[in-house]
Amino acid sequence: MILTGPEIEREAATGRIVIRPFDASDVEPNSYGFHLGPTLLAYDEPVLHPERRVRRHTTMLPTSGRTLLPERLYLGHTQEVIGSDHYAATLYACRSISTLGVWITFSAPLGHTGAIVAWTLEIRVAQPTLMYTGMRIGKVAFWRTQGTVERYRGRYEGSRTVVESRLSAEFVRHENGCTHDTDRT
Amino acid sequence: MRTDAHMILTGHEILREYVAHRILIEPFDVDQLNPNSYNFRLGERLSVYRNHPVDPKQQNPVTPFRIPEHGLILRPHRLYLAHTIEVMGSDHYAPTFAARSSVARLGLFINLSASLGDIGFHGQWTLQLFAAQPLRIYSGMRIGQIMWWRPQGEIVLYNGKYQGSTGPCASQSFRDYNNDSEVA
Repeated sequence: MILTGPEIEREAATGRIVIRPFDASDVEPNSYGFHLGPTLLAYDEPVLHPERRVRRHTTMLPTSGRTLLPERLYLGHTQEVIGSDHYAATLYACRSISTLGVWITFSAPLGHTGAIVAWTLEIRVAQPTLMYTGMRIGKVAFWRTQGTVERYRGRYEGSRTVVESRLSAEFVRHENGCTHDTDRT
Repeated sequence: MRTDAHMILTGHEILREYVAHRILIEPFDVDQLNPNSYNFRLGERLSVYRNHPVDPKQQNPVTPFRIPEHGLILRPHRLYLAHTIEVMGSDHYAPTFAARSSVARLGLFINLSASLGDIGFHGQWTLQLFAAQPLRIYSGMRIGQIMWWRPQGEIVLYNGKYQGSTGPCASQSFRDYNNDSEVA
């Protein structure tokens, strides 16, 4: 079941949910509202490949704002470190951002139990849109789990800023192409 | 209200329920379990709609093709229908599916705001691939993940038009309309 806002606040106080920094005024009826961090990442290659690291660069998003352009892919991150060793989490744009035509996740809303990180956001805008560091951009909900809890020990563990895709870690080069090694999300 | 409803299953619990035949994932590999989900793989068949505009009241013809062994570069801002290798379903839990974080970070959507499945649906899942930048994909890559949720209330099993589907299944929404128009 989904946690209510007061329950998120209670669990944040006990340490069973981590939201850092935490501000009680960002607690919502069944989620916590988070903010956009200062670093944006863009890929520098015209064609992206999952089997090897893609060249990329980061820029700082000023508090005075910068216009993001449609049909481009930006990776951003939450200002807050968010996660829990006890609950699973899901991430959403907040309505105010969504109604401006902004995506902040590309069909990947799940945060695994044990992933306590600054979340990387996949950002796309439907029309040119000014974005600001520190703006309220999304909300995270927490869910109780059924079964023995296993904590996330994946390749994004400990992220504190935007992190590019590391899918290449599970590709193994073969003569006739690529196959997969075993690794986790 | 039962206090144990609406919970998301842990990876251990997905394994337990798979062994108990209350969740179907075929083929199944424990290496693809995550703390709260199971990673599924991309099948080799794709489809694209042949004509524009697509029409929800018509059967829209598609062009089927396969992902070659060396991969295929998706054109950006274009819809490709794809499918999971795995046949997945449950008569006991509600499924949702998502891209893996590593895949989304390459600018790829695998669904377009339709992440919820139905209790009782069993089949290969159709994926809606939509790339924000040109992206090479490979058949067999672990592209997404399925989550299972415990429901509250009496269960009525899915008996819809996509039951048992295999491969990329184009929209059948025309079946919801009573029309006798020609199918192209």
